[in-house]
Amino acid sequence: MNANTFINNFNSCSFMDLQKLREQAIIDVREKLKAAVTDDWLAIQASTGLDELDKAINLLVKRLREWYELYNPEFSHATEDHFRFVSLILTRNKADLLKEIKVKDTMGADLPKDDLDAIFNLAKHIKSLFELSKEQELYLESMMKKVAPNIAATAGVLIGAKLMALAGSLARLSKFPASTIQILGAENALFRHLKNRSNNPPKFGILHEHALVSKVKYGNKGKMARALGDKISIAAKVDYFKGKFVGNMLAEELDKRCRELSK
Amino acid sequence: MMPHQQLKGVFVDKGRRLQLATKALVPDPVYGEKFIRVGHDLYRIWDAKKSKLGAAIMKGISQIGIKPGSKVLYLGCSTGTTASHVSDIVGNDGFVYGLDFAPRVMRNFMFVVEKRKNMLPIFGDAKQPESYKKYVGDVDVVFQDVAQRDQVGIFLKNVDFFLKPGGFGLLTVKAKSIDVSKYPEVIFKEVKQILEKVVTIVDYRSLEPFERDHAMFVVKKK
Repeated sequence: MNANTFINNFNSCSFMDLQKLREQAIIDVREKLKAAVTDDWLAIQASTGLDELDKAINLLVKRLREWYELYNPEFSHATEDHFRFVSLILTRNKADLLKEIKVKDTMGADLPKDDLDAIFNLAKHIKSLFELSKEQELYLESMMKKVAPNIAATAGVLIGAKLMALAGSLARLSKFPASTIQILGAENALFRHLKNRSNNPPKFGILHEHALVSKVKYGNKGKMARALGDKISIAAKVDYFKGKFVGNMLAEELDKRCRELSK
Repeated sequence: MMPHQQLKGVFVDKGRRLQLATKALVPDPVYGEKFIRVGHDLYRIWDAKKSKLGAAIMKGISQIGIKPGSKVLYLGCSTGTTASHVSDIVGNDGFVYGLDFAPRVMRNFMFVVEKRKNMLPIFGDAKQPESYKKYVGDVDVVFQDVAQRDQVGIFLKNVDFFLKPGGFGLLTVKAKSIDVSKYPEVIFKEVKQILEKVVTIVDYRSLEPFERDHAMFVVKKK
């Protein structure tokens, strides 16, 4: 039965009618919720998930290093890259590793196999987390190319997804003005400024992670972020309304501006 | 467990510290709250820190208009924390229309609604009462808790649309969503002036220390 039929006799609404209306409303909302799940939500989940995964990996690797340093501190000290460290300790033995970094004697203890197994078990799982993180990144990339190709071309895949997550959805991001996109992620600084004008306004939020912003010299970073915000705002609007691909053109203009600013 | 002196359907537990409670309509927790059994009755503790209506009652609000048998339009029900207590108060004779426009919280709200026969979910925007008028008839109370810049406008629109003459309206004002740079007191004064033109203000409470920069207005439709 249709909900509209209830409007006519709503004034004489009895308990049973209300219950029927309630059931109809529940069905309606369920359908709407099902339809509300769009691809940009998946991209946002993948992006935040990736961030959290990286945080977890960092935490675990720190523990692994602390633990492994009881056994072989020299190698851990010499290898800064986490991924390289984890994969090397899993594939080679202590003597090989020491030879590689040209150390003859070690201050680490000689541990029995049981204790080493516990360490290497952790390392094995951390390595699989690294692989998971790489897979998720590939998934996010394909998702962003599908959902928001223009944003991906101007802001980059990771930053584009983060911008979408900060805005809440692609729809909301497309409605933001360029100036809001420029400082997205710097809300605390912005409100500090609005409350007390003696604090300077923020020049950029998460856009400071963007390669173009970090490339230009310090005094020009704000200008670069402003240009970037402009172009991302255009890209978001094109993506939301499913326009043609203009990402190349926007990226070229940004490169040009970057060259001007780094002179 | 004692009935509240002014508000029907609300109970007060004077244990080690003062706590509010409502008679549980359904024996399932909604947000991890505690239950107290007194004789045959099961009561749900109402956490004033998580619910703005609860906070207003703790601050000694004199009337809320919500009583057993009321029909309530609840705008901005979120995951149903406060809405479930309103549903407890109005009981099986009353009805609660819960509206929210965020899919994320609506999903959680649906689990609450499915257990409670006196609640109806609406997935829509409070700015457009026309879009959900097919579900809502005349109501006795309009309760609003939305963090929008045009909170007061939305409230008055819905009061105009759905509230019976003489019915109560409860408006939670979040000063920070209206203007972050102004002092909350200034904003509350402005809200009061706008409301006074259209409706009668019955009561006003600031929700400190439960919520920062929030206030609750109780109004009556002329």
